[in-house]
Amino acid sequence: MTPLSLLLTLSSLLFTLGLFAVLTRRNAILILVGIELMLNAANINFIAFWRYGPPDPELTGPMFVLFSIAIAAAEAAVGLAIILMVFRHTRSTDLNKLDSLHG
Amino acid sequence: MIPLLILSPLILLAALGAVWKARPVHAALLLALALALNAVLYLVIGADFIGLVQFMVYVGAVAVLIVFSLLITRPGDEAEEISRRPRSLLPGLVCTVPVLAVLICSISRVTTPSAGEAPAFSVEQLGKALFTTHAPAVVTVGVLLTAVMIGAALFARDPGKKPQTPSDP
Repeated sequence: MTPLSLLLTLSSLLFTLGLFAVLTRRNAILILVGIELMLNAANINFIAFWRYGPPDPELTGPMFVLFSIAIAAAEAAVGLAIILMVFRHTRSTDLNKLDSLHG
Repeated sequence: MIPLLILSPLILLAALGAVWKARPVHAALLLALALALNAVLYLVIGADFIGLVQFMVYVGAVAVLIVFSLLITRPGDEAEEISRRPRSLLPGLVCTVPVLAVLICSISRVTTPSAGEAPAFSVEQLGKALFTTHAPAVVTVGVLLTAVMIGAALFARDPGKKPQTPSDP
């Protein structure tokens, strides 16, 4: 097993774990935890292909990861702010209880 | 290769804990552990700067933010979470196992033209590339982060209370 395939396998397992958390958790903050895991899995792919893939003097892989980390931080901040706002209205972060738009 | 073989199972175990733990604070702390181990992985395979950024932004900011939100929102009791786990387990597995199978199949089929390891880059190289080739992207991310800061402050502000200015008596 080459290092590249090892890292790709690690990232696909991490992505699947994150997806599982997003699908099965009910607490909105823990769904955000799953999303962070999925974003991290994508970052591992970028770094793995930069390191063990074809030569790349432009540093595209690390560059993508830098921007992706910045955007993930922004997403977490806005997501948690929205969750706090929802919590202030409903006193709960359980997504099953947020059904006021339900017909 | 050997550090990778040691680190990968540790990252997976921490992530599994973050996904499976019923108590939300434990899940958030295990997420912080998984992200920190991920930063170590970047350091080990030669992306030093990315590893440090990952440590500062993810472990220092995002994980701490998640723990603080858990403290503020006082999530529900874990007995309820455990009681409904059997119901959500099957749909979760039905959706995720095919995704994993497709990913693993495609990884095992793809042969990439590997040219050995890419040379490690210096921060100077990265900075030059950021402020010449990628300057528009850097400015865009700056605008995005400013908008996010203002937006998050607006969302999180309690509308019932007027913000006090320092000049108020």
